[in-house]
Parts: sequence; C-alpha cells; structure tokens
Amino acid sequence: MPVIPELLTRAGGMPSLEALTERLLAGDTLLLDTPDNLVEVVDSLASYGVVLDAYSTNLIYQAEAQFLNPFPLFKYLEGDLSFAKIWRHLCHDRINYEYAEYCMKAMLWHGTGGLDRYLDSPDFDASCAQIIRRKLRRDPLLALLHPLFPAFLPELIRMAATTHALGQFWRVMSDLFLNLAEAEGQGRISGIAAVVEFISAGLQRAAPESITYAVMIDGESHWVLPPEAGLTFLTDVAVPYVEAVFLRGMPFFGTVSFNAQAQQISPDQSQFTYGALFADPLLTMGAGIPPSLLMQDMGRHLPERLHQRYLRQGRGDGDGRVKLCASFQKAMFCVTNGAIDGTFPAPLSSCDPAAQAANHAHATGWAHRLAASRTDCLGWDGRADQCLP
Amino acid sequence: MAVLSSLPIQLAWLIPCYGFLGMAISLPWASGWIKRSGPRPAAYLNLLLTLVAVVHGGLILRSVGRLGPQHLQFSWFEVADLHLQISFELSLTTLACLALVTLMSLVTQVFALGYLDKEWSLARFYALLGFFEGAMAGVVLSSNLFISYFLLEMLTLSTYLLVGFWYAQSLVVTAARDAFFTKRVGDVLLLMGVVTLSVYAGSLEFTDLYAWAPGAGLSPLVANLLGLGLIAGPIGKCAQFPMHLWLDEAMEGPNPASILRNSVVVTCGALVLLKLMPLLQISPLAVTVLLIIGTISALGGALVAIAQVDLKRAFSYSTTSYLGLVFIAIALQQPLIALLLLFSHGMAKALMFMSVGSVISTTNCQDLTELGGLAPRMPATTTAFLVAAAGLTGILPLGCFWALALMVQALQDHSPLATGTVLLTHGLTAFNLVRVYRQVFLGPSQPKTRRTPEVGWLMALPMVCLMVIVLSTPWLMMRFGFVSGSIGLSSSSVLAVVITGLLGTLAGFRVELNKTWSRSVQRPLRLLQDLLGQDFYTQQLYQRTIVTWVASLAALTDQFDRQVVSGLVNRLGRASLSSAEALRYGVSGQLQTYVLTIIVAILVLLSTLSWVYR
Amino acid sequence: MLTPLLLIPFVGAALLLFSPAQTPPGRLRLGAILVLTLQLGWCLAVLARFDPTTTGMQLQESFSWVPEIGLDYRLGVDGLSLPLLLVNAALTLVSVICTRDISQRPRIYFALLLTISGAVNGAFLAGNLLLFFLFYELELIPLWLLISIWGGAQRSYAATKFLIFTAISGMLILGAFLGLALFTGTVDFSLTPVLTERLAMGQQLLLLGALLVGFGIKIPLVPFHSWLPDAHTQASTPVSVLLAGVLLKLGTYGLLRFCLGLFPEAWAVLAPWLALWAAVSVLYGSLAAIAQTDMKRMVAYSSVGHMGYILLAAAAATPVSLLGAEFQMVSHGLISALLFLLVGIVYRKTGTRNLDVLRGLLNPERGLPFTGCLMILGVMASAGLPGMAGFISEFLVFRGSLDRFPVATLACMVGSGLTAVYFLLLVNRAFFGRLAITRSLDPIQDARLDIQLAPVAPRETLPATALALAVLGLGLLPIGLGRISESTTTAMAWAGGSVESVERPQPAPQAQPVANAISRAMNSGITMGGEG
Repeated sequence: MPVIPELLTRAGGMPSLEALTERLLAGDTLLLDTPDNLVEVVDSLASYGVVLDAYSTNLIYQAEAQFLNPFPLFKYLEGDLSFAKIWRHLCHDRINYEYAEYCMKAMLWHGTGGLDRYLDSPDFDASCAQIIRRKLRRDPLLALLHPLFPAFLPELIRMAATTHALGQFWRVMSDLFLNLAEAEGQGRISGIAAVVEFISAGLQRAAPESITYAVMIDGESHWVLPPEAGLTFLTDVAVPYVEAVFLRGMPFFGTVSFNAQAQQISPDQSQFTYGALFADPLLTMGAGIPPSLLMQDMGRHLPERLHQRYLRQGRGDGDGRVKLCASFQKAMFCVTNGAIDGTFPAPLSSCDPAAQAANHAHATGWAHRLAASRTDCLGWDGRADQCLP
Repeated sequence: MAVLSSLPIQLAWLIPCYGFLGMAISLPWASGWIKRSGPRPAAYLNLLLTLVAVVHGGLILRSVGRLGPQHLQFSWFEVADLHLQISFELSLTTLACLALVTLMSLVTQVFALGYLDKEWSLARFYALLGFFEGAMAGVVLSSNLFISYFLLEMLTLSTYLLVGFWYAQSLVVTAARDAFFTKRVGDVLLLMGVVTLSVYAGSLEFTDLYAWAPGAGLSPLVANLLGLGLIAGPIGKCAQFPMHLWLDEAMEGPNPASILRNSVVVTCGALVLLKLMPLLQISPLAVTVLLIIGTISALGGALVAIAQVDLKRAFSYSTTSYLGLVFIAIALQQPLIALLLLFSHGMAKALMFMSVGSVISTTNCQDLTELGGLAPRMPATTTAFLVAAAGLTGILPLGCFWALALMVQALQDHSPLATGTVLLTHGLTAFNLVRVYRQVFLGPSQPKTRRTPEVGWLMALPMVCLMVIVLSTPWLMMRFGFVSGSIGLSSSSVLAVVITGLLGTLAGFRVELNKTWSRSVQRPLRLLQDLLGQDFYTQQLYQRTIVTWVASLAALTDQFDRQVVSGLVNRLGRASLSSAEALRYGVSGQLQTYVLTIIVAILVLLSTLSWVYR
Repeated sequence: MLTPLLLIPFVGAALLLFSPAQTPPGRLRLGAILVLTLQLGWCLAVLARFDPTTTGMQLQESFSWVPEIGLDYRLGVDGLSLPLLLVNAALTLVSVICTRDISQRPRIYFALLLTISGAVNGAFLAGNLLLFFLFYELELIPLWLLISIWGGAQRSYAATKFLIFTAISGMLILGAFLGLALFTGTVDFSLTPVLTERLAMGQQLLLLGALLVGFGIKIPLVPFHSWLPDAHTQASTPVSVLLAGVLLKLGTYGLLRFCLGLFPEAWAVLAPWLALWAAVSVLYGSLAAIAQTDMKRMVAYSSVGHMGYILLAAAAATPVSLLGAEFQMVSHGLISALLFLLVGIVYRKTGTRNLDVLRGLLNPERGLPFTGCLMILGVMASAGLPGMAGFISEFLVFRGSLDRFPVATLACMVGSGLTAVYFLLLVNRAFFGRLAITRSLDPIQDARLDIQLAPVAPRETLPATALALAVLGLGLLPIGLGRISESTTTAMAWAGGSVESVERPQPAPQAQPVANAISRAMNSGITMGGEG
C-alpha cells in the first residue's frame, strides 16, 4: 500500500491571544480536560517526581558536601564510593544529574527574582568574605587565585547557593508531584482542573517556606543564605525558576546558531523563548537537545499505565521519549496553569471593575508570554490523540 | 632488549587504528542499540584508546631516539604495474607531530566531556573524534602520497560529519555542506595530481618521488598543472584563500571539534604540503602561487579577523592567517620554520579555542558586543586566553616568538616583501587578540556576563594542562631539535618581531571599542568594516559564480534531457507505434501480443540465418 | 560445474510457477530465497575451483547445439565474468529478500526474478555469440513484465520505453553478430578476435558501431539513457536493485567482452572518440543528476554518470584501467543496489521521494536514523571517498586511463567531484534539518508538525547493511577481487592493445617516453579537442 505523506503529518492548532486570555479569565484549564490528558499528565508528573527527588538530593549534596571543591570527581556518587556504584556510573546507568545542573545554570544566568537580588546584596558579600577567609586557610590553590581574581570565589558561592535553592525547590515539587500521583491513584483527582487545583494549592501551601543554605567549613557552620534574608519558596525561587526554565530557557546548540553574524539569538535575555513550554518535542534525543537527558531519566521511571499507552501508539518504545516529552509539556502547562491561577490579583468571581481589570491585565500578560509557546499540545482544535495505524 | 625496544615500532601501524577502533567501539551507543543506559562509556573508551595511542607514540619516540628513524611498509594493493603501499615514516619530526595530534586529541576529548555534558549524542561525537584522530595520526606518519591522500579524504568526510553534528540546525546544514564541497574541490584536484604522479613516477613513496622529480622532464604545462593540483589539496585543508570559507562556517560545529580543526587538522594539511615540498621544484609556478596565496591569506585573514563580531570566527580567520605564514615559509623553502610555526600555532590556537569554548559554555553567547568583564571571575579561562595570546604572538619568548623571529631572520635579506607580510600579520594578530581580550574579559559586565562562574574541572583541567604545555614550548623545541640552544638569532629580527607585537598590542589597547564596533557611522569606515566583516564577500562571490554556474548547467542539462532527448524518444515512439495511446496505455492489455512479436522476430531472424548458411 | 548455474534458477522458477495456486506468498518467497542461496553457494563453489592465474576461459563445457547456424552450447568463466556472477547471485538474493508484501501474482513474480537471474548467469557464462544473445534477450521480457505489472503509476509508459529501447539494443547486437557471419562468410560465433586478416577495417568499424550502440543503450550511455530514469522511477525497489546492480552490467560486460574482445583493431581506432563519449556521458549524467528532485531519478542519473567510467577504462584498455572497469562494475553493482534499497525504505516509510519535501530523516526517534547512516555511507562510497569500493575502482580507472586520454580522464574526475555535489545535496536535504515530509509553508507552523513514520525494522535494513559491509570490505581489502580478475584483464589489455604493442608494455619507472607521449597528446589536443 502506498503511504500518503499527509496522513503521517499532524499540526496542532495555535490559539490566539484573545482565546488564551479568555480561557484564563474564565477559569478553564489551558489543557483540554480529557481522560487521556489526565493519564498523561499525572503519570508523567509521577515519573518527573521520582527524577526530581534524585536531582534534588544530588543538588543539595553538591552544594553542601562538594562546596568549592576544585575537582568534584565523585559529585554524582553522593558519597557512596562502592565499586558497584562506580561501575554503574561508568556504564552511564544512572540519573543524568547534568540536567539538574543545566537548570541551575539557567536560573543563575537569567538571574531574576529575589534570590538573585540577594546574591548581589552587601549581606551576601559579607558572608562570602567570611566564608572565603575561612576556606583560604586550608586551601593554597584558592589562596593563590583569590587575590588575583577577586570575583572568582564569590561567583562560585553564588552558584552553590543557587544549586542549593533549586535543590530545596525540587524537594517540594517532587513531593507534590508524587502526592498528586497517589491522590489520582486513590481516585481523588478526576480531571485536569483538579490537577491544576492540586498543584496550585500545593504551591500556595509551600509559598511561605523559607529557603536557607549553610555550609560546613572545618566543622563550623556558615550561613550563605541565612534565614534573616527572608527568602521564600514561591516568590524568590519558584517564580524565577519558571521564568528561567519554563519560559526563557537557554538556546540549544542543536536548534539555534550561536553565530553572532546570523543574529539568531536575541541580545535581550528576557526575549528568550527556549524554555520547556516552547521546546519542540519531535527533536527529543537528537543532537544538541539538553531535555533529552530529562526524558531519558523520566523514561526509566515511567509508570506502567503510561508505558502501556505509549506501546500502543506510533512506534511504541521506539519513539517513547518523544511522546513522553509531549506529555511532559502538557504537564508543564498544567503546572504553569496552577501558578497563573494562584497568582491572580483578585478572585475570578469578583465583580469589582478594578479587580476585573487587574485580573485581565494578569491574564493578558501571561497570554502574551504563552502565545508563541507550544500551545498546539493543548488539544483545543478538537483533535484527539489517536493511535495511527 | 632489542626486541623490547623494537616492538612498539613494529606495532606502529596500530597508532591510526586506535582512533578507528574507538569509532567502531562507540557504534553500539552511537547507533542507539544501547538505549537503556547513556552514551558515556563510548566517551570513556575513546579516551582510553587515545591515552594508549599517546603512550604508544611515546614508546616509539623513545625507541626511535635510540635506534634512529624507522620506515615501515606494507603492501596494500599490487596489480599490473600499480603498487599501492601503506608506509609509515617514524622519525623524530613525524613522531613529534604524532604526539601533537594525539595529545591534542586527548585534552580535547576531556574538554568535550565537560563542554558537551548535556549532549545525548555524545557517543556519535566521540566516534567521529576517534575517526578524526585515526585519520590525522595516519596522515602525519604516512610516508606515501597515496596513503596521505586516502587519509586526507577521510579527514574531509569526518569534518563534514563533525560540522554536521547538530544536523537539525539550519546553519549547520549549509556549513557542513560547504565544508565538504570546498575540501572536496581541493581533494579532487589533489587526486588528479596523485593519479598523474602515479602514472609518471610509478611509485608514490615520497622518497621515490623526490628521487624522480629532478629528472622528470615533464613539459612545463604538465609540470605546472601537476604542481597546482598537488597544492590544491593542502590549500583546501589549510583554509587558505580562496578556499578558506569552510573554516568560518565550520564554527557552527561543536567547539571541541573546532579546537582540533583550528590546531591539528590544518596542521595535517600543511604537513602534507611540507612532504610535497621537494616535489614542487618541478613547477616554479606552483611555488609562486603558493607564495601569493600564503601572502593573501596571511594578510587577508588577519584583517578579516579584526572585523569579526563573533568570538569563534575572530580566531578561525587568524588560523587562516597563520597557515598563510606557513605557506610563505614553505614556498620560500624554509621547512623547519614552517614546522616550528605549525607546532607553536597549533598548541596556542588549541588553548585559545578552549578558552573560547569555556566562555561560550558559561555565557551562552559568542557575540563580542554582548560580552565583557569576565576576567575577575574566570581565572582558568582568562589565564588560558592570555597564555594562548602570548603563545601566538612574539612578545614573550614562547613558541611563535621563535618561529616568527627565525622566519624574519631567514627572509629579511632576500625577500623583504615576505618579511613585511610576516611582521604586518604579526602586528595585526596582536591587535586582534588584544581587542578581543578587552571585549570579552575587561570592561563592565553585560547582561549575559553578569553571572559567570568558572567552568567545571573537566574543562578547566585540560585548559591548565595545555597552558603548561604552551608555556614549555621553548623547552620542547630544544628537546626535539627544532631550535638548537642559543641559536644566533640576530637582534634585528628579534627586535622587529617584538616591536610589531608591541605596536599591535598598544593599538589594540588604544582603539575605541563600543557597541557599534560592528558598524561604524562613517561611511568609508563602514564599507571597509562590511567588506572585512563579510570576509571580502567571498560567500556571495561563490554564490554568484561557481554555484550559479553549476546550478544553471545542471538545469540546462536537465531541460535538454527532458525536452530534446526524452522528447525525441517520445515522438519517435509515437510515430513508430502510430498512436501515442499505444505507448502510454497500451501495455497491460496487449501483453501477449508484444511477447509474441519479440519471440516471432527472434525466430524469424534465426531461421533466416540458418537458411542462409545451410 | 557451470550448467547448474543455469539449472538452479530455471528449475527453481519452473517449480515456483507450477506450485499450487494457493501457496502463500511468504512460502514462495522462502522458496525463492532457498533457490538463490543455493545459487550463491554454487557460485562460491565455482570461485573455489577457479584458478586466478590462468587467463583463458575455465571450467568450460561445450557441445554443439545447432551446428547449422553456429549455435554452440559453450559455457566458460574467467576473471571478467566470475565477479559479475557473484554480484548477480548476491543481488538477486537481496532483491528477493527485500521483497515484502507481494500480494499480486506472487508466483509469477518470484519465477520472473529467478528467470532473470538465470538468464544473466547464462549471458555471463556464454562462450558463443548467439548463446549470449539468446540469454541477453531472455532477461528482457521478465524484466519488462516486472516493471509493467508491479511498477508505479506510470509503469506502462516506462515499461514500453524500456522494451523498445532494449529491443532495439538486441536487434543491433544480433545484427552485428549476424553481420559478422555475413561479412566473414563463416558461421563461427566463437569468441575469437576478428583481425584485419579476416575482415576489412571498414566492415569491422560498421559491426563495432552497431555493437557499441546496442550495448550503449543497455549500459546506458548518453544519449541512449532516456529509458533508465523512467524505468527506475516506475520499477519497485527489488527490480531497481536488479536493474542497476546486475542488468546494466550486461551492457558493460558486452562492451568489454564483445566490442573490445572481438574487434581490438577497430576498437583502437575508435578509442579516442569513445573516451570523449565517456567524458560526455559522465558529465552529462552528473549534471542531470544535480537537477533532479526525485531521489530515485537522481540515483538513476548517477548510474549513467558512473557507467561512463567503464567506457573510459575500456577505451584506454590498459591492464590497470581494465581491472578498474571490473572493479567499477562490481562496486557500482553494490553501491547502486545499496542506494536503491535505501531510497526504497525511505519511500516505503514516507510515501515520497521528493527532495523538496523530505527533511530531517536522521531524527533518532521519529525518523529513519539507521537508514540515514547507511545512506551517508552509500553516497560517500558513490562519491569515491577512500575506504569504500567506489574509490579504488575510480582510482584504478583514472590511473589506467590518464596516460592515454588525459583530458577525458580529467573530465571524468570532475564528474566524480560532481557526484559529491548531488549526493551531498540529497543527504543534506532529506536527512538533515528538522523532520518533515510535507512541503515547507511557514517556519512557525512547520515547527509544530508532528510526524509519525512507521519504524524501520532491523530485518528491513539487513540487506542494505550487508551491502554496506561489502562496499566497505571491497574498499579496504580490494586485493581479493584484484587477484581474481588481474590475469584476465591484463591479458585482455595486451590483446586489445596489440596494435600499439610496440609502445605499450613499458614498466612505469622508465616514465620518460610515456610522459612524452602524454604531453604530446595533451599539447596536440587531438584526443579531446572540443571537449575541455
């Protein structure tokens, strides 16, 4: 039988700005509420939760135990230097912590929000100076470099602080996603709206949790991010994280040319659209596509229900990680949805014109950000994800 | 004892094989057979094999130091009067080059582990690096033009695949294509030369060719064409004008590959030219062309480099420029200086590209106008840049100082023009290095350089190691006998080199740098900037000339084929079958008729024949 | 020893043809595979018995069949035909293996494939002109049926075109053979060279001309190539594999065996013009290929170009060039078969071969990455990259031809460079970039396309992988093939070059006179005047 190319190609819709605004204001979920979408979102978040748990543990370990270590040869081993573990790591039979570091670097580099502001504050400089003083006593290499390159160690401490903060953030998110999966398993989650609500509520609950970070030097604890800095979970870490990883991202080598003359990358970082909500799932596992690492990790912890579903679609396991990336993107839209819902200035039901205007501005702002994102996965064009013959 | 010391020599043929073996070993991961776990084992295995190659090369070097130069020869293909052999020359020079290749490959592979840490196609990358390394190791050891050609073409292929590594990115696609085409033009011309030599000279061993050349007695036309064909390959490989375009575009590829390409790959091309040098006496024209091309590349490359706003391209053009100097040295019969320059440039440029790579990986940016203020935060990267810059220029007594001073000294008496070119190129290079240094490392930090922690140890460590090597080049040169102790360098040549370097540095510090570095408001200056920034519009030139010619010739042929050849056949067919329908639709229904016709025709013919000759 | 090479496929074909009507296609395919494996095994047995050191026909079998018309049943094998027999056995097996989902008249289909294989064996083995002709014609009809029944939408046109061209080719060849008998007045259809003592030069030229056009159609050479791209685009993949890999070789084999072998003196007279013809053919084929957007047409035109090398090598008729011709026949057989297999896979999975439409097939999860890797290997081999079969073949051809026809050889090398152009364009267009199989409309919309191609099972790429390994093997260790063919081709070169034997056998180290001859030729420009 001849194959007809058009049948193998599908394009999702691209909702307009107005449609997005309307939907957000109406309190509807961005992602279409279907049983298929529910399974995809919940199960991909379940596997994401497992992976985030590992990422979080490792990031916190790195920030605490590998602090300013010039040769962190075993930073992914988390102190377990048994032969079996080393062998597994040599065989690359492990979680790809590189992706966690990648997200950390994106957060650090984009530098938005409260955490970043604190990293430039005099308080931080003072604690840095103290830590460096203590550290230089024992470390001749750093003692040599520090006077020559005065901004070198503070910058590394900023990186460690971001690492730790991201670790703490993911700790919360991991638990939240695993709880969501458990709740769904117990039948407490009935649709996408419930998922968004669960996430939104979880974020609200964790919002005031404080973010702190201390390092041990010579058996003495030093604050890097002290409680007095007043850094909190939602506004100082979660929002910058969403900005840096979901929306802006960093350009992928595999899709964008870094050539200055070609001018493919905007000089203004706030215009970047390389984040998770903008990524092209089709390119997953290709060359120069960092999210492939995450998809590999998630693919190894995929709930059986979603795995079975993938086996029936397309190439089965053959293109599993592309399908997983598409599902993951849907889930990330739900998380974003939860964040948007949670940050509306006034209740959506409010009749006060001022409150309505504020809500409208909030929704329009987000719609602008999301207009060019991969909204085709939201399923608004009525296309059900059917298996191809 | 003798056996023990000659064993590494007897196994020298393994050296290129390590790289190729690395490629083969990487295949299970690169091809996706192993899906459950990641691709890093391929990287580790390649690293291990490269390490083995380094050690093996070192052992051979020791043995050769004791036993003298060795020659290894294996028969590959012998038919009729054609004898194709695989042969290796193991001398101090070739082994030093081998050490350069394998060491660079080793540090690059470690660097790549850091630079490409979030790359899932790592296995394919290391497979290609292995292929690259194997071909390069073979080229430097080869003592046979056929094998040199064979491996140069493999380099072309692996360059194509490495540049095309991120194949889904649109500029990569054109870059890989152009890299292959440009090199391939050089290769085809070289092949013409190789085949011609094979016919005229019989053997393709370099030593046999040297013996043949003086009494070759070719007509001037043939000799000149032959000479031009032979230099065309290295011109393409060394990215010399007018075949330099690919190196610029190849910067789209992964940075670790750029490190190798700008240091050792161009060196391989120049080494082949060095080996061909004694042959070129048959064609004075080729030597003149070499000199002209070298001069244009040296000055043009240096000028174009200054006008670049892209971090990688600012240095890839400087590679063209330095290789131009090497070409000048070869054209003026100074092989030792050419080698010296290749060595010092190769190591310093590799270090430079490592520094560039760590800047890119930290800032996600290659645009010089968006960089700045990295120096206080990135010790390894900054120091690497400074050491590399010192290694490339002749202000401090590192590698290039000796090479440039020797070159000036050797040329100043009988070739003032070439001396001027060397000094001018040197000054311009110093200027370029300083202005890039200022743009990237000094000044206030910019939005994209606000948060720039130093790179991890996987990138910093190879940088530091290479820094040590670059700093010890003078010692290495003496060790390998390139520079004999306190050779009588005349103070005038030393002064000339140091002064041009200082002048360039000074100018680099004085020149005004701002955001508008790329486009000046003054029209004449802007035109000049555009001319240089666009690389003398070479790409457009190619597009308008050769690309258009080939494309229109192809279109013309295709039209001719459709209209004339095919059209004629169709008309004939219609006429003979009396109906166009018969030709188009008549088959399936009248199948039997046709079969019958054919069979009857054959029978009639046969029976006529048998009747005639009864 | 040789007759089984005819019996195995023909008897196999008959058995398949008369198998019960309800036999499932899979069973038939298995049967065909068994028969062809047996044939391949027998070929290898012949190879084992073959003595590469002797020059003449070996393992001969003969008896007088129809003596009245000089038709003897005479079979023999030498270094020229043996590698081609092996290629035929291997590629027919490949084409049967890569036949899948054959629902329409499977019995006839497999029987026809086997018949072709047997007829080709017969043509390569024939030691008698008429016997060769019989087999040459015998292969024609099954192939025509294969195109016209199992072909694409325009199959009738293509099949008829093929039939007319090849029938004319057959007529011309038969005419030449009969003319030989007519002119010499004897019914001697053996393979003895016809020298001036027997036949006047004018008549020799006439007969040689007819043979050249006849085989030129089959090879095909410009301007008789018009049938090939049409036939390929309409034929199914297995048929294309056979057509490019095996059947075109009948033409080049005829060129070497009958044109050069029968009329060495007339050949020497025409040689400069043949070299010119070769160069034109190479450049024409390559340039036409650049302009193609259908992958299969592109590969077909590349065949036209690459077959030109063989004419060049035959025109030069030096030991090295003739060995190069043999290498080129084998390597082109393997490489073009490989390329057609891969294009077939792409077509089967995407439904199109249009290079304006296909993009990014290297995509590891949704694309055809392994096919893409093999394709890169295949096109690089075809472009003459070292380490693969194409390079050593082209090198031998060029090396052997340069001192006789320098300008034509250099032109052919340019053609070799052009091969890289179109094949690289093919790879860059179809395999690089973001995956797409529809025409590009708008970058933002295109980036949102979701593409679902059926996966390529490992068994589908198995034949292609085997061919790719063979291409690599021949490229890295060419000496095996060199040993088989060297003495035969060398002997042919001496016989063919007998006219110039005073000047020819010069060992290379004394290059002086040869070099002078070259520069003389280059300066006078007689060989290729209007060409450069």
